[in-house]
Amino acid sequence: MRKINKFPELWFLVGGLILLVGVFLADHLLNRYLVHILILMGIYSITTVSLNLTNGYTGLFSLGHAAFMAIGAYTSTLLAFPIALREAYELPLLPSFLGGPEYSWPFFPALVAGGLLASIAALLIGAPVLRLRGHYLSVASLGFMVIVTTFAKTLRGITRGSMGINAIPSYTNIYWTYLWLFISVYVVWRIVNSRFGRAMLAIREDETAAQALGIYPMKYKLLSFAVGAFFAGVAGGLYAHFTKAIRPFEFSFFLTFQIVTMLIIGGMGTTSGPIVGAASLIALRYALKPVEEGLQIYGLIELIYATLLIVIMLWKPEGIMGKRHSRMS
Amino acid sequence: MLKIENLTVKYGVIPAVHNANLEVREGQIVALLGANGAGKTTILKTIMGILKPAEGNIYYQGESINFFSPPQRVKMGITLVPEGRGIFNRLSVEENLFLGAYHRSDKEEVEKDLNRIYTLFPRLQERKEQIAGTLSGGEQQMLALGRGLMSRPLLILLDEPSLGLAPLLVRELYSFIANIRKEGVTILLVEQNATMALKVCDYVYLLETGVVKVQGIAEEVWSREDVKKVYLGG
Amino acid sequence: MFSLGYLLQQTMNGVVLGCIYALLALGMTVVYGILRLINFAHGALITLGAFFTYFILVRLGIPLVATIFLVLGFGGLMGLVLDIVAYRKLRGGPEVALLITSLGFYTFIENFMKMVVSPQPYAFKAPSYLTTIFRTSFLTFRTIDLFIIGASIAIMWCFHLFIKKTKMGIAMRAIAENLEVASIMGIEINRVISVAFVLGSALAAFTGFMWGAKYGQISYDMGFLTGVKAFVAVVVGGVGSVPGAMVGGVILGLAEILSTAFLPTYFSEYRDGIVFAILILVLLVRPSGIMGVKEEVRV
Repeated sequence: MRKINKFPELWFLVGGLILLVGVFLADHLLNRYLVHILILMGIYSITTVSLNLTNGYTGLFSLGHAAFMAIGAYTSTLLAFPIALREAYELPLLPSFLGGPEYSWPFFPALVAGGLLASIAALLIGAPVLRLRGHYLSVASLGFMVIVTTFAKTLRGITRGSMGINAIPSYTNIYWTYLWLFISVYVVWRIVNSRFGRAMLAIREDETAAQALGIYPMKYKLLSFAVGAFFAGVAGGLYAHFTKAIRPFEFSFFLTFQIVTMLIIGGMGTTSGPIVGAASLIALRYALKPVEEGLQIYGLIELIYATLLIVIMLWKPEGIMGKRHSRMS
Repeated sequence: MLKIENLTVKYGVIPAVHNANLEVREGQIVALLGANGAGKTTILKTIMGILKPAEGNIYYQGESINFFSPPQRVKMGITLVPEGRGIFNRLSVEENLFLGAYHRSDKEEVEKDLNRIYTLFPRLQERKEQIAGTLSGGEQQMLALGRGLMSRPLLILLDEPSLGLAPLLVRELYSFIANIRKEGVTILLVEQNATMALKVCDYVYLLETGVVKVQGIAEEVWSREDVKKVYLGG
Repeated sequence: MFSLGYLLQQTMNGVVLGCIYALLALGMTVVYGILRLINFAHGALITLGAFFTYFILVRLGIPLVATIFLVLGFGGLMGLVLDIVAYRKLRGGPEVALLITSLGFYTFIENFMKMVVSPQPYAFKAPSYLTTIFRTSFLTFRTIDLFIIGASIAIMWCFHLFIKKTKMGIAMRAIAENLEVASIMGIEINRVISVAFVLGSALAAFTGFMWGAKYGQISYDMGFLTGVKAFVAVVVGGVGSVPGAMVGGVILGLAEILSTAFLPTYFSEYRDGIVFAILILVLLVRPSGIMGVKEEVRV
């Protein structure tokens, strides 16, 4: 660890270049189906990495990640939707403060805007709830998810309600996806290995003691919650511009559950765990899909996810990449 | 009655008690003295089964009790009156007392013991319906002791009973502790307040950072000038 | 625009829903008080109980009284199994581990039901003696409404007596306050926790029956939102407080029904959203709930 810490940026640069080469090769050598799976792995990795920042490093347990993804997905879609198609798909034109009816946003700023809106929502929901015990956050964030999907269903003039939005331009490709994964891993890594990150770990280990050291937990919790929500929002945007259609019910408890499962299986509070968890569960899903559809037993994949989660929690709670550390009493 | 051999207890990797040997004979009052953090409470918690020893054995009435759970130890006649009283603040006084006799099924005898505690501590009877958290410090200590006695212990472990009590109450408390012994209950007493403890006890262990430094009959230890200087604050 | 009769009618509907929430909240609050666990699997027991009664009461036609006892027993057994298989192993570990595991069990049971019964909802045709309609000049109700209110009041009263007067009830409160001291009183912690799970799960399965008979439709995922709302009721009433859970449940049921009844129809889709808006409002204004004590963080 010491050695890596000496020139960390350099390592990230090297890693980034290797990643770029890898993505380039994958894009050119693999067939479309495999690239499709790789992109999905990338998107889920971003959400899991961002969930790790909140749930793994600070010990908050948010169950509202799907809500932040929904906010990011809807925001970026509405901003970047082509003007010519808006009328046909009953989507509103942009108001003047967002560029006016003649304007539709480029992909990158639309993603960032989705992320920012998600983190603003996180700040609003976090301010009352993060003062309380962790469990309140779990329920309140779950409630927040219900509220967001309710809005997505009812604000028909903006979101087209339960019908969802179709014909979203497929801007997301493997380069965008892995660029954002790279950014999210780097940002989370930077945060965790800073004064800020050490404060967060202190909060996770013992909040009262951290307070005694003059660490003001609220600030750190809120920030990590908001940064986590930002990347969830971006991932939501990538997801929307990848699947080309979004509907309110997709951003449900089960989406959150999948991300949580990926994080737990990979290893909470580790750098590589979230990516390993996301990639292996996506791979598992695609391996099982023919079975589920062939035998027509719907729910099988979810059932296996749940079983894996339970097994990991009972026998290897630190996850695949986590190290077991002796628990202090 | 109680014998502790080579006991080591750790919190994580840090030993809180190291290689301690202690013995409590039937009918004695044995005091375990030492500064804050010396490991006294740790020893009591280990005897009770709340903490697990890393090494060593605890024998009670000749039998090793290392693998017994706290409730099993209560049934065998060991009771701990925890530090800071550990009463249930949100339960009524009577419910607290009643919980002391939780493992007993002899209802009539429990009722008798309850009345006995009320005669010993009339204040508790006056306030039996009251929520325990509203009692004064002295009353809470009475309640904790009374609750301990409700289990009909053979060996009672008292953790800092005088903590936070006014001097007058401390004297009252100690005369009461002497009374308990007269009824045949063996007592292991942990104290920071050494002066009071040394007056009532038969045998003393002095603990320093997890290690037994001095032991002996109370009067002897009391008269040793070096001990007085280092441990008894003058 | 709204008559007194309409108000009474909606109030009654709210009370009926509130009773269901209250019974669920009772089991949750006791478990939360002891283990600090938001037991998501509690919701799955609603589903299991609903389908269990569907098969024995609607399909096999077993008499009501026997059904009640069977569903209580079934729920209790499931609670015991969950406790022994999973939660017992995790005790003493980080609190969040219990939460995650209960999420896992919820999802497991939900998808198990999806596979076994069907992804489609079932029509729960309650026997006619439960659906007889009574009309008075200002209220219309069915036998099942009376049954739910009556049974709920009886159960809550018994539960209250149990917690206040019995040895086990006192032990539960003692453990909730201080687990370590409770264990040196000779209380077998594991056994008491199992009893809490068994009681809570039996009640949850029972509410599954009530839900099916009252609303006429059951599905593999019916327990999720209902379970989470029951926890909202726990928070509204005051976490860990038994009377609080009852009051919180009834308040939540009333709020949910009356808000949809009296707000313009446009808002009826916000019904679930309103429940959680109430949660966030309570957390903002009075996090300890209506009857709760301020919760100290366990270190």
